[in-house]
Amino acid sequence: MNKTLLILSIAFLGFIGCQPPSTLFYWGGYSSTLYNYKMNPSDTTLSVHKTTLLDIMKKAPVKKMLVPPGVYAEYGYILLKEGNEAEGMEYLVKEEQAFPESVVFIQRIKDEYSRGKK
Amino acid sequence: MKTIACILLSLFLFGCGTYITKEEFAPNMYKDHPLTIVVLPPMNKSTSAEAKEYYSTTIAEPLTQSGYYVYPLEIVNDILKQEGLYDTETMLAVPPQKFREFFGADAVLYLTILEWNTSYMITSGSVTVKVAYELKSTHTGDIIWFYDDAVSINTSGDSGNMGGWAGLLAKVITTAIKTAATDYVPIARQANEKILLAIPFGKYHKQYNTDMKVRVEKKKALQPVEGKSQKGPS
Repeated sequence: MNKTLLILSIAFLGFIGCQPPSTLFYWGGYSSTLYNYKMNPSDTTLSVHKTTLLDIMKKAPVKKMLVPPGVYAEYGYILLKEGNEAEGMEYLVKEEQAFPESVVFIQRIKDEYSRGKK
Repeated sequence: MKTIACILLSLFLFGCGTYITKEEFAPNMYKDHPLTIVVLPPMNKSTSAEAKEYYSTTIAEPLTQSGYYVYPLEIVNDILKQEGLYDTETMLAVPPQKFREFFGADAVLYLTILEWNTSYMITSGSVTVKVAYELKSTHTGDIIWFYDDAVSINTSGDSGNMGGWAGLLAKVITTAIKTAATDYVPIARQANEKILLAIPFGKYHKQYNTDMKVRVEKKKALQPVEGKSQKGPS
């Protein structure tokens, strides 16, 4: 009985010791504000989510973490939808610079945007 | 000390199921080296209608922490609509290669929510989330990784030290409150994190290309993995 307990406690310690903390990207309150926006789409929930995106960009470097994939793109996309073309495009460029593998995706967003303008 | 504990842990884990290395489990991940992943809206086989919406907001975070580039959900949804793809069933019929055209994605992640249950029995309650993942290469169309797992959270009330009827009543009430208030999002997040411990790490992870020998529990595929490329999940 005591032996089982000992093995379990060792396994538990091992479990804690083996798992590196995930500190690669800083996500802040992303999933909860996105979730709130999806469940109740409104200007308020969208502006809260935009604040989260800006907060991630501001705090990630302070926390010595990276801005996650898609955050610049998502913010830029929202700005484009709001008609803020100049700033929106800037954030799309930031995404491309941070993640060169996003080039096809970013081009697609730009193409759809200019198609929508016509 | 830590090493000993880890060895003991793996010995301990060996007792519970079949464990094989990540490389044995998903050899094509180390050949294909996907970097960009597009996550499609999940298929919902649970009885909860809201499960899909809840679930999809929790996936990007753990998947990027595993080292992958993940496209943001809202933009993905809009692009899929531009391609005339509104429901998950239609998307399953699209060859994985197409998603490379749409997004530049190296791989497509298909999620299936198998269970999304609240069980509530007067003095005890629990919330269970069970999900299956399937990752397909947009280069070959083949399944390059899959996994499934479940997370259950006990929401039983704690009546403190009260005994007798008063204690029982307190327990009934706290169980009801806790089960109703338990948010699925953190549970879904735990399920993701548990499942993603088994994915070979992507380029942004420190252990990229060095985790082949890490052992993971061997899972059965929802469908044969060895099949030829064009087969979609049915």
